[in-house]
Amino acid sequence: MNEFSEIENELKKLRPAQGSRQLFVRIEQRLVGPEISEHKIIRPNRFRVNWVAIGFGLAAAALFIVLAQISIRQLPDTPKQGDSIAQISSAPETRPVLTGPGGAISSSEFVPAGATQVVYNTRDEGLQFPGGSEQPLRRLRYQTHQTWQWRNPVTGASLRVSYPSDEIVLIPISGQ
Amino acid sequence: MENVATHEDWRSCFSELAPGLLLFARQWVRSRADAEDIVQEAFVKFWRRNHKIDNRGLLYATVRSIALDRIRRDSRRTRREAEAVSELEQVVEPQFELVDETQFALAAAVQRLPHEQREVLVMKIWNELTFAEIAYAMGISQNTAASRYRYALAALKRMFQPQ
Repeated sequence: MNEFSEIENELKKLRPAQGSRQLFVRIEQRLVGPEISEHKIIRPNRFRVNWVAIGFGLAAAALFIVLAQISIRQLPDTPKQGDSIAQISSAPETRPVLTGPGGAISSSEFVPAGATQVVYNTRDEGLQFPGGSEQPLRRLRYQTHQTWQWRNPVTGASLRVSYPSDEIVLIPISGQ
Repeated sequence: MENVATHEDWRSCFSELAPGLLLFARQWVRSRADAEDIVQEAFVKFWRRNHKIDNRGLLYATVRSIALDRIRRDSRRTRREAEAVSELEQVVEPQFELVDETQFALAAAVQRLPHEQREVLVMKIWNELTFAEIAYAMGISQNTAASRYRYALAALKRMFQPQ
């Protein structure tokens, strides 16, 4: 006899509610019927087409095509100014090919005729603290399409090189 | 309780175990129908895997696991049910076959116990599990199971037999 025997005896007098007759029927059906184990179940989710993902994929592909066409259209010598999505620099930034001795231009030499840089995407990649610095820097990624053009003034032939590039710019942020 | 391991067919085993198993399952769900679903799933799973029926710790662990899975799966529904039940607590299906006011008061006192104490109490009093079996079913030590049981009895004694 312990200090709790009285309360234990009272608790044991409580009779738990009985299960329904239907419960026995259901268990019998499950035990008699064929077992459907987990690995035999073909889950329809695995074969369901993810229309949302396909939609996003198609939209991304369409956007890429549109942007590619925009960049191609920006390539001519006289690009439009003030384009809302593109920053264009028509002035040549380098002179990759020099003219011949004495400044004379031969028929086999090309002179820079233009350079175009189309920024088709700008992404803010957030703040950074490079090298433990206390001043944050905002990291911006510019995705550009650059085109360089050379022209031979004698023959009128032209040479054009285009390539995509990524440019990362770190802008110091100063507190107000 | 008779040693259920001597029974050969599931009906005899289940007839003996069903009330205690249902009461145990009711500690997680409000309705008797939900408790029956849990017990059915657990018992069928247990029986099909040819576990020895006297491995009661495993059987109750199976019930517990299925009940917890069900709560996670239907958390939103359970929350709605809990809210509805808290408003209409008096219409919840009783867990016991109550015969008088004294038993009604005692059953109500059991419901006010912390869940982990009530689990141990249900397994010990109405399912006659040993502390070793309770410890296995709950994934706790035997000492913890015994402590929770004593705390539950002490709390009930205070609630039901105020000095």
